[in-house]
Amino acid sequence: MIDYPWNDRAGRFNWLRMAAFTLAVAPALWIAVDAATGGLGAKPLTETIHRTGHWAVRFLLISLAMTPVRRITGWNRVITVRRMLGLTAFSYAVVHLALFIPDQGWKLGHVASEIVLRPYLTIGFIALLGLAALAATSTDAMIRRLGRRWQVLHRIVYGLVALGLLHFFMQSKINATEAALMTGFWLLLMGWRLAHRMGASLKSPSVMAMVAIGAALTAALTEALWYGAATGVPWRAVLEANLMLTPWPRPAVITLIVGLVTVPLPLVKPVLDRLRRSVKRSSRGSTSIRA
Amino acid sequence: MLIKVKRGWELPESAAISESQYLNRRSLLKKLAVGSVLAGSALSGGMSLSRRAYAETDPSADLYPVSANGKYTVPERPLTSEKDATTYNNFYEFGTHKGIYEDAQAMKLRPWEIRIDGLVEKEMTLDIDGLLSKVQLEERVYRHRCVETWAMTVPWSGFPMSQLIALAKPLSGAKYIRMETLADKEAMSNLGAFWYPWPYTEGVTMEEGMNDLCFMVTGLFGKPLPKQNGAPLRIALPWKYGFKSIKSIVRFTFTDERPVGYWEELQDSEYGFWANVNPEVPHPRWSQAQERLLTTGDTVPTQLYNGYGEFVAGLYSGLQESEGIRLFR
Ligand code: HEM
Repeated sequence: MIDYPWNDRAGRFNWLRMAAFTLAVAPALWIAVDAATGGLGAKPLTETIHRTGHWAVRFLLISLAMTPVRRITGWNRVITVRRMLGLTAFSYAVVHLALFIPDQGWKLGHVASEIVLRPYLTIGFIALLGLAALAATSTDAMIRRLGRRWQVLHRIVYGLVALGLLHFFMQSKINATEAALMTGFWLLLMGWRLAHRMGASLKSPSVMAMVAIGAALTAALTEALWYGAATGVPWRAVLEANLMLTPWPRPAVITLIVGLVTVPLPLVKPVLDRLRRSVKRSSRGSTSIRA
Repeated sequence: MLIKVKRGWELPESAAISESQYLNRRSLLKKLAVGSVLAGSALSGGMSLSRRAYAETDPSADLYPVSANGKYTVPERPLTSEKDATTYNNFYEFGTHKGIYEDAQAMKLRPWEIRIDGLVEKEMTLDIDGLLSKVQLEERVYRHRCVETWAMTVPWSGFPMSQLIALAKPLSGAKYIRMETLADKEAMSNLGAFWYPWPYTEGVTMEEGMNDLCFMVTGLFGKPLPKQNGAPLRIALPWKYGFKSIKSIVRFTFTDERPVGYWEELQDSEYGFWANVNPEVPHPRWSQAQERLLTTGDTVPTQLYNGYGEFVAGLYSGLQESEGIRLFR
């Protein structure tokens, strides 16, 4: 029997896995459609390198979100799609590197020397090697064989994402907004993990609010530090921009909003569960026994 | 006042060509003909509507096409398609991505005043149509090499900057020309990002400005210059990286101080004042050894001074590459 990605381990169709699979292939389809219709613009290769790089980072963050989402919502099943999402991130990163080869005119020597000579590429390459190691140890057999060491090994993903984000910052030409936003999300994810390690409950509104504020402040500082250290943009102005929502909210502000939106999430599952129970009860026609 | 600069190579008016005649002129490049027909039909989307409307209202539309200057051709490369040249643009006032051509249509081209000030006999303000009536328009095919390693080959219409300098009558103390782009908050959404050093500025030395290759551009592909390409007046400095070729100019200041451009202000380790193309001097973050041609997608070797050394290398023979003078970045 074929192991379809949308089936669960017992081989039954599973909506959550189907949703994750759809999410995983949607950007690739989108790129393919754009490629066929000229939607990638005058430099399709460069555009595809950029998009696959973006999606690699986004899928890394989405896969990193599964554990905290489980803790926040109590919805344990999300963990069943974590591996698929992580491998998706790796796949986009591999395509991203692969496209760099034709981008350099198919000159492999040039590809290699660029990776060695340009720090942002060296960093991307290290991140990709790390992701390859994680992908290779993601089979059931490897997980079983490595036991506790698997956990320890796979914790390097936090650092690999940081390297990916650094690569993202470093390749940007003066506008590092997108890289700063992804960094804000990464800080939220790390903040939730840190809070959990310190024994705080991710179902507590005050803990969640504190993580949101902490991540947003750190994101604002990181962004200002980047501009101040790597560019001639006045870092104070970049910090100040966070205080205004025009012309558009800055990455730290979006981080704060996303962080705060998660505060009521712990309430969702209990409410849904209660609804489901009462629907079940009423469908059994046992409304009369309710105390 | 009509400044008539005599040129031996000037073609008679009858040599004025239409866009379709380009293709005949370059009859060898059949591939291109097919490409540009395709591009032409692909253009009949939302773009052509706005551009047609624009061509109707642009008072300079009937100045084009203008006669070609046979001295400046690029026989070894096919022309970039008009679609690519007009939809893949850097114009940070409208956004930091390449697809700003729709947003750029918000820019108003009339009235368009150009201020000439600083070390000149008499400071003045010209309007674009007045300026156009005082200069001699011609067409040149130039290579254009972006610092981001893409390149295109397009027919610009315009006039040598020396004609503008003659109009401006600079004083003998003037050593540089500083140029400034329009900064219109209403039309240009990215001006809201106030932490960037708007307005966009760039500069050349007087010698560079007087060099015949230094071209003030007002048209593209035998039509008025599209907004996204820097209408109504930009510069083309084909031997320098593209960011030097400032767009939508509203001010020329003659000065004895070396101007600091937008990009130099933002990232002086990467984008300097001279910024002459040189394949051997990498950008700190990437190699400049080769370039990718828009439209064909070919990767080809980059040339010193973008292949224009015979015209401009002399400008730099007296300068030594040093801490203060980085000729190639
Ligand atoms: C050997 C490995 C890698 C190579 C050679 C590579 C190469 C590149 C190149 C050439 C660019 C475009 C830079 C430009 O246009 O100036 C880029 C951008 C980017 N890369 Fe990579 N990369 C590598 C690994 C990675 C990895 C592992 C990730 C993600 C974890 C990643 C994420 C990104 C992102 C997000 C961008 C920015 C895209 C944009 O802003 O549009 N890269 N990379």
